[in-house]
Amino acid sequence: MATDLHLRVITPDKIALDTRTDSVRVPAVDGQMGILSRHAAMVAALDAGVLRWTEGGVSRHMFVAGGFCEVQRGEVRIVTPAGERPVEIDEARAREAEARARERLRVGKSTTGEPLDTVRAELSLRRALLRLSAKSLE
Amino acid sequence: MASVRDLRSRIKSVGNIRQITRAMEMVASTKLRRFQDRAVASRPYAREIAGLVGRLAGLLGDDVGDRPLFKDGAGEKTAILLVTSDRGLCGAYNSNLFRFLEQWLREHPAAQPRYYVYGRKGYQYLCRRGREEQIERFLVEPVLEQTDYRAAARTSNLLVQAFQSGQYKDVLILYTAFETMVRYLPTCVPLLPIRSDNLAAGPGEKSAATDVILEPDPATIFDQLVPRYLETRVYNALLESLTSEYASRRFSMKNATDAAKGMQNVLKGKYNRKRQETITKELLDIVGGAEALR
Repeated sequence: MATDLHLRVITPDKIALDTRTDSVRVPAVDGQMGILSRHAAMVAALDAGVLRWTEGGVSRHMFVAGGFCEVQRGEVRIVTPAGERPVEIDEARAREAEARARERLRVGKSTTGEPLDTVRAELSLRRALLRLSAKSLE
Repeated sequence: MASVRDLRSRIKSVGNIRQITRAMEMVASTKLRRFQDRAVASRPYAREIAGLVGRLAGLLGDDVGDRPLFKDGAGEKTAILLVTSDRGLCGAYNSNLFRFLEQWLREHPAAQPRYYVYGRKGYQYLCRRGREEQIERFLVEPVLEQTDYRAAARTSNLLVQAFQSGQYKDVLILYTAFETMVRYLPTCVPLLPIRSDNLAAGPGEKSAATDVILEPDPATIFDQLVPRYLETRVYNALLESLTSEYASRRFSMKNATDAAKGMQNVLKGKYNRKRQETITKELLDIVGGAEALR
């Protein structure tokens, strides 16, 4: 099996992933996007979602919180504010975030009592749900 | 003249202080390490983002200069993100930055600064100077030491929003740049508006970018990219300031420890001389007394 794509996930805290693979699927803003070897050079904006790739025939995945994907000469670089492998996802924290966001949307007020930023609350609910789904895929 | 007993207790207290400053030096060392590691770890991300911005800016060409964050703000005031420390005992770290701030203010007499302050020392300084009403925001959540990328991103977004609201002409960051272990320079960098010539895309990169697929389209990607770019700038300023703070603190604690050691030696010398003197005096008394009895 060819493993001629170099996949790297770069976050502000660390290089979250550095591996070789033959196919990658990224959550681009306008839908999932597949990348195989010899893909043309590309820059794509990413949505929060699940990044999938294969490693020795086994499918792997991790949660990415948006960011960008850059393909260049056999290298796929995912530049994202946060990238977490299923084992790294803190399920309790994600559930808490989910509950908090739901509560905020229900009450219509933020925890500090300021008027609610609905978009932000919905986004954080979405992130929490995506994290949980990435965890349960394992 | 201090008595033998006074000297003994002073030696002891200097010794205690030395132990404390030594412990503080150790703590500063470990923390310094940690912030340095984080600064190093954040570099690839910042480099990637800056590289992308540069390449896309090259691709968009002259249109870049017309984007909202690239033009001077509508307002008159200047927002200053001032990064200081929460705690003292770190040598001239804070006062150097304050001196730098004063100098900047002298050079820009027409500026109307509004402060966004990190660190209690900066807040106290501005209040003492009677500039309390110029403080727009005192950033305490989370505490500076536990700052992470998300906190930096929030601060960055706060500044972007303030800039877009049209109150400000520009936004600056005043922080301490970390050069080497013994060199940290108070620095002022412009955050907003972004100067397109600062984005410095190498000529090779520009041409390489022409046949790249951009999904969904260059302008959309660029507009998403720019806030990330600003976040990395703020994050970097915070990490460098923290690194400088701890390097400075370690250095001054080491100096204090050394000074305490020197002082201890001087006091010990004095103490021994004094003790000898007392013994000699007593001996003379005894000999004198024995002489008189004969």
